[in-house]
Formats: sequence, structure tokens, C-alpha cells
Amino acid sequence: MIGVVRSELLRLRRLDVLLGWFGLMVTFTVLVNFVMFQVVDPSGTAPADGPGVSFPDAATLAGGEGLAAGLGAAATFLGVVTLSFWALAAATDHSTGLVRITVAAEPRRWRLLLGKWLALASVTVLTTTAVTVLNAVVAPVAAEAGGFTPDAWTSAPATVLATAWVDLFLSLLVWGSIGLALATVTRSAGVAIGAGVGYVLLVEAVIAAVASDVADWLPGSILTAIAQGGAGPVSYAEACVTGGAYVAVALTAAFVVFRRRDITD
Amino acid sequence: MAITTHELTRRFGTLTAVDRLDLHLPSGGVIGLVGPNGSGKSTLIRMLLGLVRPTSGTGTVLGEELTDPRRYAGRVGALIEAPAFVPALSARANLASLAALRGLPRARVDEVLDAVGLSGRGDEPVRRFSLGMKQRLGIAAALLPDPDLLLLDEPTNGLDPAGIVEIRSLLQRLGADGRTVVVSSHLLSEIEAACTHVVVIRFGVLVFSGPVEDLLERAETVIEADPEEDADRGRLAELLRADGWQVEMDPAGRVPLRITAHGDRAAQMNRAAAAAGITLRALSVRRDSLEDVFLQMTGGDDGELARARGAAALDHPASAGSAADATTGARR
Repeated sequence: MIGVVRSELLRLRRLDVLLGWFGLMVTFTVLVNFVMFQVVDPSGTAPADGPGVSFPDAATLAGGEGLAAGLGAAATFLGVVTLSFWALAAATDHSTGLVRITVAAEPRRWRLLLGKWLALASVTVLTTTAVTVLNAVVAPVAAEAGGFTPDAWTSAPATVLATAWVDLFLSLLVWGSIGLALATVTRSAGVAIGAGVGYVLLVEAVIAAVASDVADWLPGSILTAIAQGGAGPVSYAEACVTGGAYVAVALTAAFVVFRRRDITD
Repeated sequence: MAITTHELTRRFGTLTAVDRLDLHLPSGGVIGLVGPNGSGKSTLIRMLLGLVRPTSGTGTVLGEELTDPRRYAGRVGALIEAPAFVPALSARANLASLAALRGLPRARVDEVLDAVGLSGRGDEPVRRFSLGMKQRLGIAAALLPDPDLLLLDEPTNGLDPAGIVEIRSLLQRLGADGRTVVVSSHLLSEIEAACTHVVVIRFGVLVFSGPVEDLLERAETVIEADPEEDADRGRLAELLRADGWQVEMDPAGRVPLRITAHGDRAAQMNRAAAAAGITLRALSVRRDSLEDVFLQMTGGDDGELARARGAAALDHPASAGSAADATTGARR
């Protein structure tokens, strides 16, 4: 299995992919931090949630966890980026025909899928770490620019950032797994990304409008809840269990399709 | 035996790509796999590699059951259709990734790059490679596991003549070392030059399997005669036919008369012409090439077009029939 993971990691060491992945994660982290501290009134309530974004209220931003609030608010954007690059990595094997070579070399297809998952999860550890560190640098500047004086941030910043790192990483793992599954099933990065992003931004918003009681348990809401350490009626533990179930379903579907499919690419 | 199959069949919907194929390919040597487009060669190779599952039938690869490719995958190298790599990565990085997948040492990458003549280009991104260089890299990837069995689909595709000779000699060396090299190719001259054994399939059905010499024994010998005076062409043809020779004459007179007979009889034919007062400007003996034999065996059709006509005949019997007639007429 180590060989399969190493093989995947070697193929992921592409400057264009890594620059794109890290670049978009960094961009959204900086952007959301500045927007969040600008739109939340220091003396008022949180603005209404938009598609793919959820801002905390002023009290949360000013409190100890405000330091990492930008990561929670940017979680959907970071999730979409992660879904896209996981999907791209999986679909490229089909579009280049490389899947012929890899399956011929390692006929146990579950190992190929699991190896790819582990390799992409490893890169996601790095992207999560990068944006968490960046957030710690950017958040105080953005807060000050937005008129916040977050004195409480200095009480336990390492704990807050570590917790935010874990929450964000778990959320991105679910996003990525969904992207990997969609790309494995469709064999197309474009279709997988379109389906994933379209679902979160459009389909889930429509479902939320007509059936608000189930909306909190849909993938997009659950992922936001994980990233924010629990949100609304869904506790953090419930969100993690539900997110784990989504991963299990997605990877099982991907494995069943990949195992049974004839490799004709 | 390197490969055996028994009634191996693969259907895709109504299309039978491989039809009850019985193969017994010996270990060692270079084996040519030939057939028209769409004859099932690639499907057969994919089934041997575990990429496509048979609909029915059984088989073994290197003594292991076809249904359990993990038992033999480590001893098999393959180039399937076009070489497949990550274009942005260097040749060396692509091979390193495949070596890691197979659990091979990194040093093996340099060995195979050297074997295919790419050692000086290993650090260039594959996207800058010509088709021929990609083909060499594909062969290098197939050689990575130091395989007992190599399955190569069109390995000389895109190579220049010098490259073809180089790769041919590499494959022959590998075959002479005791490895089994199965080469699918449309270049029948390549098969004739490089292979010890040949398999011919058409419409997924086995047409021939055996040593190349056995196939070439089916080749006819033809005497080609060209009278000095064009007016004598028809007279010579009539004369020879009257003597019982089998003669083909181009009505336009652009090519010499073709007389199907053993080469030893060329002198006898020459005397018959001279006795009739006909002087020949050229007389030669030619043995049919593997290509001629192949075309005779496979009907000389483009396999995919023939299949399409077959399918059309099922859907629209009248129009497909006229299309087939037109083709036959054109060939005539």
C-alpha cells in the first residue's frame, strides 16, 4: 500500500496542480477573512447566510474562537476547491489513459482507490495547515481593518487554531471524498466538479427552501457544521458521524463502480 | 505455455469482440498478433491484463488463471494502445511513479530509459515528446518489472525507420532471452521480420495460430512476365492459358502478367513465350508476402467497416447488400 501511495504522491507533484490548489485555498482564506470582518457589524448581529457562506455574529468574532472563525466561514469555498482537485486527480487517470497502466500493474483496484485517497488526504493535510497558519496571520489584520479589537484572541490561540485545523481537515476530507467518488464514477473532472458544486450551491439551496427540517442534514450543511465545530441544531458529534456516513457511501459507490467496470479508457 | 485460452469470449451488447478464442502461445520468442481494425486484438490484450472481464471461457497467463490477474501482474509488462503518461511530469518522474506502484527500486527507471534510448531525455516533460519518443517511453514502462511476458500494442507506431529497427532488435533480444513478447501490429513486414509465431484473428475469431514459417507456406509463388511489345500481352496470356497456366492480366496493361506457378517453371514459361515469337523484357519470380497471405485470409476488408456493414445488414438488409456489392465490385 505504501508503494501505491508513493506512486500517487509522485504523480501529484505537479507545479501547475499544486500552485492552483494552494493558490485558491490561500485566496479564499484571505478574501473571506477580510469580507467577514467588514460585513459583520462589531455591535450588531450576523448577516444572513448566503449560498456557500455562513458568517458568525460579532460576539463570536470578538471571543476567543474569533481567531479561527474565518476558516469556518470559508469552509464551503475551501471545500469546493478541495473537491475540484480531488476530482481532477482521479479523472486525469481516465483522461490520460493512465488507468490502463495502473490497473494492469495493480489489479487489486481497491488498493488503487485507497492509495489515491490516502495520497490526496496527505496533500489535504498540507493545504489545511497552510490555510490555518495563513488565517492566524491574516485574521488580526482583517479584524483591525473591520473595527474589531479582539483582546480575547490571546487567551489560548494554539488550542483554537488546532481545533479549527481538525474541524477544517475533517470537513475537507468529506468534500474531497465526494469529489473522488464523483470523478471515479463519471470519469470526468468537469462533470464531477459541476455536479458537486452545482449540488451545494443550487440543489441543496432549493431543498432547504422546500424542506427546511432536513436541510441541516444534507452534505453541504453537515460539512459547514463540521468546519465550524457544530452549527444550528446539528451538534459537532452528529455532524462528524453524518459526514463519516457520507464518506462511506461515496467511497463504497466509487469502489463498486471502479471494481466492476471494464477499463476501456 | 505463456498464454492459453479456451473458448474465450467477450461481448459488448450485440457486438462479439472476441468469439470463442482458443489460443496456445508458447513461452519464449516474439509472437505477432495481427488482424484488421476491430478484429478484437485490443480486447484480447485487455482481457489478458485483467482490464476487461471475459463474458465466458477460460484462460491462463504464465500458468495462472486469467480470472486472478494479481497472481501474474508482477511478471507482465504492457503497452496498451497509445502510451499513457502525465504530460506535465518528466519521463523519469512518470516511470518513478509506475516503479513505486510496482514496488520496484528507483534504479530500475534509469535501466529502462537506457534500454529504449531515452537516458538523455529523462528529465524532459512528456508533453514535449514526439509520438515516437512517447512510444519508446511506453515500452520503457512495460519493461519496468523485467517481465516474463510483454504485451505490446503497436509498439513501433510513430517511430522512424531507424527507431523501428532499434525496437525490433530490442524485442528480438528480449524474446531470445526466454521472455515471451506478444506484439500486436498492423505492419505485417514488422511481424514477418521480428516474430517467431503469429496469431491472426478476424471478427474476434481465430484464423491462424502457429510459426510464421507455417503461415508463409500458404504463400503462393507468382511468376511475373512482361512482354517487350504491349500487343503481345494478350497473345501471351492466351497462349499460356491454353497450356493450362493460371494467368491474371491487368486489362489496362499497366502491370506484368501474373502467372501462379512454382518458380522452377519460369524457364519453361520463357521457352513457351520464345517459341511463340514473344520476347520478354522482364521475367521475375515473386513469393507472396505475409501481407498477401494476411489479406487472403482476412478477405482484405477494413475490419471495422466490415463490421459496420454487417450491423447495417441486420438493420437494413437491402441497402447494406448493395453497399457490400459495391465494395466487391470495386475490388474486382
